[in-house]
Amino acid sequence: MASGTDNSTARPVSAKVVISGGFGVGKTTFVSAVSEIAPLRTEAKMTSAASGVDDATFVQQKTSTTVAMDFGKITVDQGLVLYVFGTPGQDRFGFMWNDITAGALGALILVDTRRLDECFNAIDFFEQRGVPFIIGLNQFDGAPAHDVNDIREALDLASSVPIVRTDARNADEALDTLVQLLSHILTTLSAKAAEEMAAAPQAAAVAAGPEQRPAPVVTNDMRSAAMSALAAERGVS
Amino acid sequence: MGNEDDTEVLEDGSFTRPYFLTQGRTRSDAGELAVEAMVAVSAGSTMPADHDLAAIYSLCKTPNSIAEISAKCSMPLGVARVLVADLWGAGTLEVLETTRSDDIAIVRRLLDGIRNR
Repeated sequence: MASGTDNSTARPVSAKVVISGGFGVGKTTFVSAVSEIAPLRTEAKMTSAASGVDDATFVQQKTSTTVAMDFGKITVDQGLVLYVFGTPGQDRFGFMWNDITAGALGALILVDTRRLDECFNAIDFFEQRGVPFIIGLNQFDGAPAHDVNDIREALDLASSVPIVRTDARNADEALDTLVQLLSHILTTLSAKAAEEMAAAPQAAAVAAGPEQRPAPVVTNDMRSAAMSALAAERGVS
Repeated sequence: MGNEDDTEVLEDGSFTRPYFLTQGRTRSDAGELAVEAMVAVSAGSTMPADHDLAAIYSLCKTPNSIAEISAKCSMPLGVARVLVADLWGAGTLEVLETTRSDDIAIVRRLLDGIRNR
């Protein structure tokens, strides 16, 4: 039965970026602004444990909370789709953050300058995982227009992390912020690639001795690659 | 009398339903799928008889991500993920490629594509 299976022509590759930050900082508004579809909301139940919660103490605390996350989509070209995921606002849904962040290219952390401390957790989270991120100062009416350097100091951010002003309510501005995020990701990846190139002669020397290979390290990043390989395998068999 | 609270929990449909749909499982034997992983019906496959699986199948005549399936079929993310993985394991659905987070070429393409909007 071959009805409705003409998907051979359009088999897009999907990528993902994350919009994060504290509660009520404009993540959903931002997702709406950049998405070509009305943002969708998917829910996860903590009791379902489907998001990979292994922490029993966590489950004990709350048994049936619904975690909602909003996401949007941008079709970049026929073969490439970018998903834009907002993280759930409350910190206690950290387990969802892992799920959303695994395999992400990078993150935008939205900040309300009236409540700077709200974004600390998000910054820690992405810093620890080595996910490239930028800070977006979301314009709220009546919010103080702090100097960017003061904010950098207050957030204890490395000089390499861009801080940009944005307005999540404005599609053009939001898209522009997304472009700034992608530029930063590109810069970060290029620097990393250059570093690896510089280290390559050494690596080649090491590779000459067969037993000297470094132990394989499994990271979240590898998950999607492994998945694709699995999928390809299945396609063949 | 003492178990009134327990009864309340059990009668809460939103509490029991996810497990029910997946027959108690929180992950599929077929493997874990990323929320942004897109799936599409495999060539030559047939619509499953089960109501929820059929809903997923119909949707995936055009590629949809796990998150989209969850939202559009109104099922919790965890349920959608397990059911999709089952269909993938059975060869009914195919999983399309997701990008590596260090794929420079993809980031360039995204950048150019979104800049030129």
